Amino acid sequence: MKNSEKTFESALEELEVIVKDLESGNIALEEAMNKYTTAMNLIKLCQDKLDKATKKVNKILTENNELVDFEVSESEDNGESAG
Amino acid sequence: MMNTKYLSIAQINNYIKVMFDENIHLKKVYLKGEISNFKRHTTGHLYLTLKDDNSRISAIMFRSSASTLTFTPQDGMNVLVEGRISVYPMGGTYQIYIDKMEQDGLGNLYIKFEELKRKLQMEGLFAQSHKRPIPKYPKRIGIVTAPTGAAIRDILSTIKRRFPVCETILFPALVQGVSASPSVAKQIEVANKYDIDLLIVGRGGGSIEDLWAFNEEIVARAIYNSRVPVISAVGHEVDFTIADYVADLRAPTPTGAAEMAVPTILEVKNDLKTIEIKCLNAINSKIENLKHKLKQQKENYILKNPTVLYDIKAQKLINIEDSLNKNIMKKLETSKLALEKYQTNYLLNNPQKILELKKSDLEKLTESLYNAQKYYLEKKENNIEMIIQTLKLLNPLNILDKGYSLVKKDDKIIKDIADVKENDNLNIILSKGKLNVIVKEKIYEK
Repeated sequence: MKNSEKTFESALEELEVIVKDLESGNIALEEAMNKYTTAMNLIKLCQDKLDKATKKVNKILTENNELVDFEVSESEDNGESAG
Repeated sequence: MMNTKYLSIAQINNYIKVMFDENIHLKKVYLKGEISNFKRHTTGHLYLTLKDDNSRISAIMFRSSASTLTFTPQDGMNVLVEGRISVYPMGGTYQIYIDKMEQDGLGNLYIKFEELKRKLQMEGLFAQSHKRPIPKYPKRIGIVTAPTGAAIRDILSTIKRRFPVCETILFPALVQGVSASPSVAKQIEVANKYDIDLLIVGRGGGSIEDLWAFNEEIVARAIYNSRVPVISAVGHEVDFTIADYVADLRAPTPTGAAEMAVPTILEVKNDLKTIEIKCLNAINSKIENLKHKLKQQKENYILKNPTVLYDIKAQKLINIEDSLNKNIMKKLETSKLALEKYQTNYLLNNPQKILELKKSDLEKLTESLYNAQKYYLEKKENNIEMIIQTLKLLNPLNILDKGYSLVKKDDKIIKDIADVKENDNLNIILSKGKLNVIVKEKIYEK
């Protein structure tokens, strides 16, 4: 998977695996260096994603089983008596 | 009675109404009683009578208030009501206008709660072993709650504030009233069909009846059967529901659920920093370790004194050279001696003698060959003489000389009388000739 296609979550998962591998110390230096480089790239990718993170659209499942954009109505509060 | 002022009925009823309405004690009353004569009007208003052992009072609950009821009122039901007492001038009756009505006997609800809790606990629905881990960085969170109200607003704003990379899908559900529990349970099931990695199920605070859907078995089972990990978020900190026990994680409030569900960006950045440091430390210690090993190798005695290595080899080479020389000389000596022996050999120096020896051998061989041949021929002659004697003895014609004869038919010798028929022509061979005969008669002997 190319880094550009990676989600934030999968990048983090990969990072955790790499850290575990590196800390185990059982890998050859060359492989360790490769993993280290990969880790640094992944960290950069995650940081970029966090910095660029804007509000993701919230969705609601309608009665027709469609996902449509959802905004909480700020004014009304009639869903729950004491909500 | 001339001057007496007469009032209309409406006037007196209205006067009484004002008296009631202005009375501070009647503006808000709390009554406890049993429902009877319950009627739901097509307009949505509820008409009923509240009674206890000795008294009764008419009651009305308008549609707007009735819509908040979490239960369906029935005759015979014990209820607690809150409302005001006023007069219906047209009928001249006073009645209570109910704002809120709850089922009495919350003790019963408590018993129901405890019974279900015990049952589900026995069944293992609360088991720690069944709790699914909550993902650390969820990608898409499903939310089962009402689409309006504080709960969804709190959840969404908290997620947005802390971890805006996360998406949400709301699965709107009724969270209050009799339809709430099937609605919540169904939406939990529906949510499981979507690509979400975490589910928040809950609602904002309310009375115990308001929250009751989350104490229903159907909701508990839906949470238990969820593939996706569930955080429960029902009411306030103090409210504990069955859903909380079954859920993989219990949040005190909807806001709390969102906080448990997602990290803050700052936390994640710190995590990333930690990962970076870990990677750096790991790689550095790897390099240090290798450097150390390299240094150790460099300090190795032989590596530090390479001539030692050479000296040993050189010594070995000299030794080999020496022993090689010694062996070669020895071999040479032996060969020389052997050669000398041959050089002094008598026969090799006198070839004529060898020829004489061979000639004498040949003569001996020729003589013995002649003898062998002679012996062989004599022996064969003896054998032939012996065979002739034997053949003479065995000749069948010699037997004829002694008086025996042979009977033949068609040149075959007859041995059995059965081979002969009367009038057959037979030949009888005798010693000095033969007879041709015809069989006159066959006589069998026993």
